[in-house]
Amino acid sequence: MPALEVIGLQKEFGGVTALAGVDISIETGKIAGIVGPNGSGKTTLFNVVAGVYKPTGGRVLWHGKDITGKPTYEINRRGLARTFQQAMSFSGLSVRENVQISYEHGRSHSATSQRKINWSSPDEILSFVGLDRVANELAGSMPFGNLRLLGLALALSTNPSLLLLDEPAAGLSENESEVLTNLILRLAEMEIGVCLIDHDMFFMGALCERLIVLNFGTKIAEGPPSIVLNDPSVVEVYLGIEK
Amino acid sequence: MILAFLIAFPLLNLGYRFLSLAITTGVTAIALYGLGIQFGQAGIMSVGHAAFVGIGAYTAAIVAGMFGIGFWLAIPLSIVMSALCAGMVGLPSLRVGGQHYIIITFCFCALLQIILTNGGTFTGAATGLDVGSIDHLFGINFDQLRNIYYLVTLVLIICLVTTYLIINSPYGRTLRAIRENEMLARAIGINIGLHKIGVFMVSGAFAGMAGILQAYYLRHISPILYGPFPSLYLALMIMLGGSRLIYGPLIGAVIVSFLPEIMRLDPIDSRIAYGIGLLIVVLLLPGGVSAGLLDIYRRLRPRSLK
Amino acid sequence: MEIFFQQLVNSLSVASVTILIGMGITLIFGLAGIVNFAHGEFLMVGGMATWFLVSAGINFFIAVLGAMILVGFLGFVAERGLFRFTLERPMNGFIMSIGLSVILQHVVIRLFNEVQKTIPDPIGQVWVVHGVDIIVMRAIVIAITAIVVAITYFCISRSRYGLALTASIADPDTAALMGIPVRRYVTGVFIYGSVLAGLGGALMIALFPITPFTGSVVIIRGFAVSLIGGLGNVGGAVVGGLLLGLVDGLSAGYGFPEWTDAYSLVLMIAILIVRPQGLLGGTLGPKAS
Repeated sequence: MPALEVIGLQKEFGGVTALAGVDISIETGKIAGIVGPNGSGKTTLFNVVAGVYKPTGGRVLWHGKDITGKPTYEINRRGLARTFQQAMSFSGLSVRENVQISYEHGRSHSATSQRKINWSSPDEILSFVGLDRVANELAGSMPFGNLRLLGLALALSTNPSLLLLDEPAAGLSENESEVLTNLILRLAEMEIGVCLIDHDMFFMGALCERLIVLNFGTKIAEGPPSIVLNDPSVVEVYLGIEK
Repeated sequence: MILAFLIAFPLLNLGYRFLSLAITTGVTAIALYGLGIQFGQAGIMSVGHAAFVGIGAYTAAIVAGMFGIGFWLAIPLSIVMSALCAGMVGLPSLRVGGQHYIIITFCFCALLQIILTNGGTFTGAATGLDVGSIDHLFGINFDQLRNIYYLVTLVLIICLVTTYLIINSPYGRTLRAIRENEMLARAIGINIGLHKIGVFMVSGAFAGMAGILQAYYLRHISPILYGPFPSLYLALMIMLGGSRLIYGPLIGAVIVSFLPEIMRLDPIDSRIAYGIGLLIVVLLLPGGVSAGLLDIYRRLRPRSLK
Repeated sequence: MEIFFQQLVNSLSVASVTILIGMGITLIFGLAGIVNFAHGEFLMVGGMATWFLVSAGINFFIAVLGAMILVGFLGFVAERGLFRFTLERPMNGFIMSIGLSVILQHVVIRLFNEVQKTIPDPIGQVWVVHGVDIIVMRAIVIAITAIVVAITYFCISRSRYGLALTASIADPDTAALMGIPVRRYVTGVFIYGSVLAGLGGALMIALFPITPFTGSVVIIRGFAVSLIGGLGNVGGAVVGGLLLGLVDGLSAGYGFPEWTDAYSLVLMIAILIVRPQGLLGGTLGPKAS
């Protein structure tokens, strides 16, 4: 049974269809990628799965249990964590306190049965993502690259078994991007599932074991990168849009 | 040092006026510690806080009048009643944020004043209710002003310690997370609604305690004490003193109660001064006077170490 | 029938003042994105200025102009000196406006005193129309309000200026890119709203006595009117003012006058919870911080 299963998911915003019946299944311990041009419904998909929006139709299953429309905090407590495109943080607090808050909630709430890692302290998480040296800085004063890492650390400290990363590499330098790629690969080794969104086909192709392509709210292709990237319909969507 | 000062204060024999001022300050500070947690930690301002002080005070007065329940037994009743009402007034904050919610708190406060004024004999209408004296406990006679002072000081210290513990606990951190970014807080598994209502109840509990102390100190309460004006002044005090640091509420209460006395300002001039002070604080010292003092202290300290 | 008509004129003249303050708040809150808690005090200052000028022997209508100019200037100073710096953090602006209202109230007490102020009826005439006594001043208050409402409505919803204003509240960044001087517009709206408060105060003192504490009573009604009507919605403010006037009239006429103020409060709480943009639709006001 896949960890996360999305069945016929639909979402409309006042007559505009963002998701027109999407089926996706994602397993833990693997890296899956959702690609598609801007406005294809990627972030909406994450937001519906994470409980930010209620879907207009369809279901979201987590280990076989229906979690459609459950509140965001409840979904997180079941082991499904997400990051934000905007690299959010608790900007007025120190980096350590940021992670500490998340860590404390992860420890008290997350489903023990599905716990993949047992962080022993917030500092362990900080050194895992490489923010230990800036632990005492104010989160809001950090450069963008570190904020992305902090976002990842916040999601990780809730002990998820599946991480949804919303454009984690956007706005990162090549160096920072590489650091991030290595982190994601290590997560997969630790049996934590990763599902990420991006529109950069090349970055995604190199990182993901499986790609799902969305366009206008529907899935147009799915499979290993080598096959998906050569799919004629995918090439058509991307021609002239990305490099 | 501060503790020693608080205990020695009545022994200075500054007279009745100063002692009663100190009691008023203490009672105000107790209510402010509630607002301090609500605004400083969870980031939700209220301009209706005096309403919950009023509910605490009226609960005590009413149970005393109707069932003969004295001060000590009424304490938990006042606290619980204020906390429950604060929790209910907090419900709209789940839907409405920012300034809209502040206006709601103000409306509730104005509404309470109208209800108390129109409550007939139950609330004593516009004249209010009389309250008896505090029963002797362990042979201490609370008819003496000095003993009321010590009682208020003791409660104030308990509130201070409680606030300190909350600020430095996982609960305090959770509240700060909500203050900083609600969406992110939800995403890491924090039940925002629960904690918001929770913090209103905590805040209301402090206010309820302040209310019963005020009722038994003044011996007479009336609706005008708990209307929009006192609420605005509480908001003003918390901003002046600073809401995030542990001594902020106390400093706010002391500034507003004692400064005019020391500088010999009349009430009108001192209110103009608070207003101007508030503008200066918001524009130049967003953390309030307490944060400003801390900042100066930190800047001076390295030099003195050299 | 005569009594009804007389009552109607009286209620309408009271509603006029409510409409003027509600309109000022709805413009400043809804279009400039500033919650000015001192708006009631602005009205009170307008009333006091009128009282002062009239007591000094100046003609009432010139005094009204004087009050409008004074309060407009007050608005200018407040916006440029205070609210300008908190546009990004509206919550701080709100808190500052509480300070401002405390200052204005007590400065007025310091200058004059706490005693209520009245002026003699500036016209002092009564029309008798088909046996109905109509106090001329009340009719003039209604007429002035009607004219001001018409002008404001035209400026906001028909002129280029109004369109640009609506655009800059919907999306300040894009509006700024399109060359709309958003900040200058904010100042403009704030001053205009303040002038309306000055006018409201001046007309109010022609009808009732004013005390330095009038502002804090009026502000709640102003918020109620603007929220009933929808923020930034001029027509809505008129409807809101009339509705509130009607509720007051009914509650005074049929029983519970002591609960009069409670109705508007309860109505307002309900509207804020259910439809924060106002009953008749409007902007959401400043973004919640």
